[in-house]
Amino acid sequence: MTSRALWPSGRAWLTWFAVLGAVHLTLLTVRDAEGRQAHIALIFLLVVLGGSASGARGLGTALGVSGFLLINYYYQEPFGTLGVAKSIDWVVLVGFIATAVVATHLVQVARDAANRANARAAEVLALTEEAKRAAALEEADQLKDTLLASVSHDLRTPLASIRALADEMPASPTAQREIVAQVERLERMIRGILDFSRIKSGPTEPPELNVVEDLIGAALRQADGILRGRVVRAEIHDDGVLLAQFRFGDTLRALTNLIENAARHTPVQSPIEVRAHSNGALVEISVVDCGPGLPAGEEERVFLPFYRPAGAPPDGGNAGLGLAIARRIVEQQGGTLTYRARDHGGSAFTLTLPQAVQAATLD
Amino acid sequence: MPRDAEKNSLMFDATVLVIEDDAAIRRAVKRVAVLDAARVIEAEYARDGIDLAAAVGPDLIILDLGLPDAEGLDVCREIRRWSAAPVIVLTARHGDRDKVRLLDAGADDYITKPFSAEELGARLRVQLRRAIARAYGAEAGTERIGHLSIDLPGRTVRRHDREPDELVKLTRTEWDLLVTLVANAGRTMTHAALREKVWDGASKDPRHDIRVHVANLRRKVERDAMTPELIITESGVGYRFERPQ
Repeated sequence: MTSRALWPSGRAWLTWFAVLGAVHLTLLTVRDAEGRQAHIALIFLLVVLGGSASGARGLGTALGVSGFLLINYYYQEPFGTLGVAKSIDWVVLVGFIATAVVATHLVQVARDAANRANARAAEVLALTEEAKRAAALEEADQLKDTLLASVSHDLRTPLASIRALADEMPASPTAQREIVAQVERLERMIRGILDFSRIKSGPTEPPELNVVEDLIGAALRQADGILRGRVVRAEIHDDGVLLAQFRFGDTLRALTNLIENAARHTPVQSPIEVRAHSNGALVEISVVDCGPGLPAGEEERVFLPFYRPAGAPPDGGNAGLGLAIARRIVEQQGGTLTYRARDHGGSAFTLTLPQAVQAATLD
Repeated sequence: MPRDAEKNSLMFDATVLVIEDDAAIRRAVKRVAVLDAARVIEAEYARDGIDLAAAVGPDLIILDLGLPDAEGLDVCREIRRWSAAPVIVLTARHGDRDKVRLLDAGADDYITKPFSAEELGARLRVQLRRAIARAYGAEAGTERIGHLSIDLPGRTVRRHDREPDELVKLTRTEWDLLVTLVANAGRTMTHAALREKVWDGASKDPRHDIRVHVANLRRKVERDAMTPELIITESGVGYRFERPQ
């Protein structure tokens, strides 16, 4: 209990013992030998009841015992001793203490019930607030989903029409090519922004057991356009089927971003390698290039959203979200994405994922 | 891109139905479809599209998902109730779950907007070829697919890209998987659909993992398992068998 909570309780004790004392001193002046102990006991009982109503069970009990002793000592013959002369006095005393105890108990029970009711009411209130908040969050989430879906639809549908219209103007192949290129660029940017906002809001499905070879193959296929005319090597150093725990669609996006990033920032004639191997409880997949590598000091900044390398043309045809998205995706699945400069020039981006094991497949 | 040399290369008087509300995209689809189909009919609304599909019985349906008067998924389900014609869905949604839902609703393939004429043409020809195979009945003999020949009655697979030809040893599961994929060539099979076909769907055995079996199958039948040409991964959705052109 904190001192703040103690203080009111301490004050209640002081107050009620002061009252008891005052009552006692007052009654002493009217004490007589006629023996109106019953009246006196009744007055003390009022003090005990008042005390237990305002304090805890302890205060009520202490007041009761004090009252008992006071009555016995000061108001019952022989005065000034704890002895009791008449048997009727015993009845008064026992009646007093019994009433005090029962009344204290009843007051306490009532107070407990009230406290429980209050606590329950507070709890219900808290739960209601929480439910309201959850409902609001869910609503916001749904709104965001709807918004993303409609943005995605509303932006892509006109793009699809523009693209279709471009195909109708073969009279000007240059303009046609340019329109198609611009449509593709817009589409890439829309996808980047949509991916970013979707991934930012957290994963929706648990990671699954997946085949690493499948992931790398699908990423190479997806990056096919940008890799055209390049030497690309893919290697998995593992005797069996290398398995990992990840969300295929998201992770494919992450790996494709790394491969496209390598292709975008290195000369066409320089090779790109994708390597995978098992490293203890992790699977490591690296995308390695022989380009210029990152300038010193930029190693972490490249993972920031909307990052652009210093001096890069603003018109790179992408939103600068690729690496930020990739890192986010990998980290959401208990993995890491790091950059390392290669010894003889070039970049190595390495992502790790939790390795999975599987009993021999069944036939 | 005109491809007159390829016109009607499928030797089949196919009718293609296009249900799409955007005029530019409808024209683009039509331009691609006339290269391979004898007749292309169009509908702007879902209601007209469903009526046309019922009245004409097209060999292939191209359906836009964002029609003004109906949810594309419902149109797909409705058509699937009484028509076996392949359905290619045009969609602006790129989510994996949307794609799985589409395939589960009976779509055979989907193309995400914006798409190129080449992409649409390729998908369209794959589906038309399936429609022809269905119309004339597939032969239950040995089938040559790229560097493979598959002997259905004999339950054997040979690869012809090695010297001499090599008999491929497949496990029972791998054989079932291959036959299922080939029978549905051009169609994306979801993980759930493949499980259902290969293990009758009821299996909860963790060793019954389609992905692992596909990885093993690829090592046996693909020239390079890392860059497969036959069994293509559809990210987060499933697998599709592609017949080499």
